[in-house]
Amino acid sequence: MANDDTWVIIPVYNEVTVIAQVVADLQAAFRNIVCVDDGSTDGSAAQIATTAAHLVRHPINLGQGAALQTGLCYALARPGGRFFVTFDADGQHRVADADRMVDAARSGFADVVLGSRFLDQDDGQRHRVPLAKRIALGLVVTLSPVARKMHLTDAHNGLRVFNRAVAAQLRIRMNGMAHASELVSLLARSSWTVRELPVTIRYTEYSTSKGQSLINGINILFDLAVRDQR
Amino acid sequence: MIVQVILVLAALGALVYFVRLAHNVHIRASKRIAFFAFIVANIYAVLRPNDTTWVAQQIGVGRGTDLVLYLLVVAFVFGMLNTYLRQREISNHLTDLARTVALRDAELTNRDRGLLTESLNTEPLNIEPRQ
Repeated sequence: MANDDTWVIIPVYNEVTVIAQVVADLQAAFRNIVCVDDGSTDGSAAQIATTAAHLVRHPINLGQGAALQTGLCYALARPGGRFFVTFDADGQHRVADADRMVDAARSGFADVVLGSRFLDQDDGQRHRVPLAKRIALGLVVTLSPVARKMHLTDAHNGLRVFNRAVAAQLRIRMNGMAHASELVSLLARSSWTVRELPVTIRYTEYSTSKGQSLINGINILFDLAVRDQR
Repeated sequence: MIVQVILVLAALGALVYFVRLAHNVHIRASKRIAFFAFIVANIYAVLRPNDTTWVAQQIGVGRGTDLVLYLLVVAFVFGMLNTYLRQREISNHLTDLARTVALRDAELTNRDRGLLTESLNTEPLNIEPRQ
């Protein structure tokens, strides 16, 4: 398989109905998949155990940022990983997009490849993003000086590819959802090249019901404002 | 009013002080001294209310009780921040602990499932402890 040097990291919290299918879809292109069950209470871990994905279980719920960091630690400890993909568990990302982003990273396009739902597709089409989501995410980018400085269009996309050098140095400290903004500012301060590629988000009823709300944006801003300066 | 300047400066100082600095021994000791001084001042204010009124009038507050109330607000915010930072520190430790447990556990689980073929990783896990 072409992607033997790649690890896909999926933070999972109460996704029992979709997680097995998401892993099955990914297996078409990726052999190394690690699901980090973040203390789910709905049997997600048992579902993951039926798949061929590696399973790491947080004994308690810690948050998505913590789950990503745990997944990175696990994947980095395995030999042979050169690229590390973060992938949402709710089925909103397309495997083809992840595959394309890893190819780009492998070709030296960038050290970090981020998915963006707001960039124009290759076929010139802008795909549909719900209006409320567009406003909320636009606000995050506008309020974040680093995101603007780096010309990022989509600061909160869960689909990302890191090469090994970057992944080994990442220390996600924001356990909750603020980790997305934390990552952006971390990348901005580094010397790594960061590029975006257009991706398509599948706004199913399921993924919409689980997505970020505007209200939670306030929590994220608070977390970032009072984080320690170490 | 002088008191407004003092209270605002005290509140801002508390904020900067706690957010910017790490918790070392020196700060812990000074926090305890401040707490002790606060208690002593309180006892004095209760015993000699006329004295607090005199102090209050010197710095532009009408009554001594108002002065005590304002100081209480500052002390409360101070304590809240302190508790918040302490709680966050504990949650950071908890995260590290849970992650270590999860990774150790996963090595065994996934080996049983036949997903890991490399020899058992006996080296320390690559986790940087937080301060």
